[in-house]
Amino acid sequence: MRRSIVNDPGDLVPEALEGLVLSHPRLLALQETHRLVTRRERARDKVGLVSGGGSGHEPLHAGFVGRGMLDVAVSGAVFASPTALQVLEGTKAADAGRGVVQIVKNYTGDVLNFRIAGEISGDDAIETEIVLVDDDLATDTGDERGPGRRGTAATVVVEKVCGAAAEEGADLQQVAAVGRRVASAARTMSLALEAGTHPGDSAPQFTLGEDEVELGVGIHGERAARRVPFRDADALTDLLLDPLLAELGLARGDQVLAIVNGLGSAYPLELQLVARRLHHRLADAGIAIDRSLVGSYVTSLDMHGVSLTLVPLDDELRRLWDAPVRTPALTW
Amino acid sequence: MTATTPSAPLGDDVGRDLVRGVCETLGAAADTLGDLDRRAGDGDFGTNIRTALALVDENIAADDPQTYRQWLTALFMGWLGVGGTSGPLFGMFFRDLARAADDAPPTAAQLAEALAAGQATVQRYGEAEVGDKTMIDALEPAVTALRGALEDGREAADALRAAEEAAVQGARSTARITARRGRASYVGDASQGVIDPGAAAVALVIGAARAAVAGGGSPDTSWIA
Repeated sequence: MRRSIVNDPGDLVPEALEGLVLSHPRLLALQETHRLVTRRERARDKVGLVSGGGSGHEPLHAGFVGRGMLDVAVSGAVFASPTALQVLEGTKAADAGRGVVQIVKNYTGDVLNFRIAGEISGDDAIETEIVLVDDDLATDTGDERGPGRRGTAATVVVEKVCGAAAEEGADLQQVAAVGRRVASAARTMSLALEAGTHPGDSAPQFTLGEDEVELGVGIHGERAARRVPFRDADALTDLLLDPLLAELGLARGDQVLAIVNGLGSAYPLELQLVARRLHHRLADAGIAIDRSLVGSYVTSLDMHGVSLTLVPLDDELRRLWDAPVRTPALTW
Repeated sequence: MTATTPSAPLGDDVGRDLVRGVCETLGAAADTLGDLDRRAGDGDFGTNIRTALALVDENIAADDPQTYRQWLTALFMGWLGVGGTSGPLFGMFFRDLARAADDAPPTAAQLAEALAAGQATVQRYGEAEVGDKTMIDALEPAVTALRGALEDGREAADALRAAEEAAVQGARSTARITARRGRASYVGDASQGVIDPGAAAVALVIGAARAAVAGGGSPDTSWIA
């Protein structure tokens, strides 16, 4: 039996957004009708940035609204895409006259609704570019007609570097290009010891035996392709890291940005163990972790699990990553 | 009822009658279509129809549409406010109907081209072909029949009746198909014998368009089960 801290489960998303915005009155504003979280002070004369998707992944996306990152976040119901109308209103709200980049995690519903919103916002003479985030290595089937890799924790990096580029005055194409560069280079692997539970439900989305680990989970509680034996923190980290290293083909001397991301109920001590093993392994391989983020940034309700994201870094990406940011979930 | 040639504008109230007809017809069929979706899909179509129609009503109350395009805009914006995949696809389909003409009512020929544009849009977003057990199985034959009838010189209501018949036939044919794309592809063989609710809804929309142009005669829904 799992319990949740909720009022009416149907009111969870709007009430949570209200709580977020009340907690950050100088940073954020709420447009209730379409569930948009916007900057308190709208940016001027820059490319707008809108992202969004289903709820349940907090602090993504609304936690990344603010100077140096998103202009607008659009929230759907738990694990359900916002509607095209919501995204359209979000895109209009993000527009400051220089076009809008839409950052979209690769899921059928999200892609459909963002594409439609982009097409219709053309009626209002708003130019849009979609940056699709598809970093999940576990769903890399190589099938060109398939839905492709899912979008997961690399979304944070895409939102950060696009945000910084827009703040620097880059134009629509430039902001989209740097986001696509990150999206195409970044890869993520995830595992879970326990699935998340929908608010108001009493049972998790799937159950695992005590000696089982779900390897290659996404962020919507869907089952993964592989179930492997449970093992200790170092060996669990290796399960994530080995396929990433094989895929990215990193060489001695390369530099990466690493995200050790909790999926909802992994606690900080656990994440630090994963970070420790990651550093030891990459040090042995001669690969420098030049920048890193350890914490819960892209979650799946209360899933007990962790994801590891690696992004090869170059000077431009490092500069954009280091640029100032002021949002509820990321500030420096 | 006056006969309307392909090049003559349809009646002044065709936008209002079309939108009201679509809403009444789909509203009355929402339970039946939702039931089809539970048998061969993800089960949310009935709810999505009702959500869309409520939003359309809100738009009509708020915007007080007068022209053809204003009426159709209230319709398509309502459909873009619902979840699932079919809501936004119907929204974009209705958007193409809204673009059939400027503020004056479209001619039958313009309506036919708008339906064809709507078909192309739905295919562009949904990546479905005829035979995939989707909206397209009703839409494609309807567009072909409408264009053919207008080319043969049949008057507007008569041509739309041919389109309606083709759409119904196309929708009914989906019962024999195992889904390859769209909502029913997730349930595979379980979709056999079940009419695709998206295709059925398209046939009802074409029927509502026929009724709006002909000045009456609600679409038959008895074939949907």
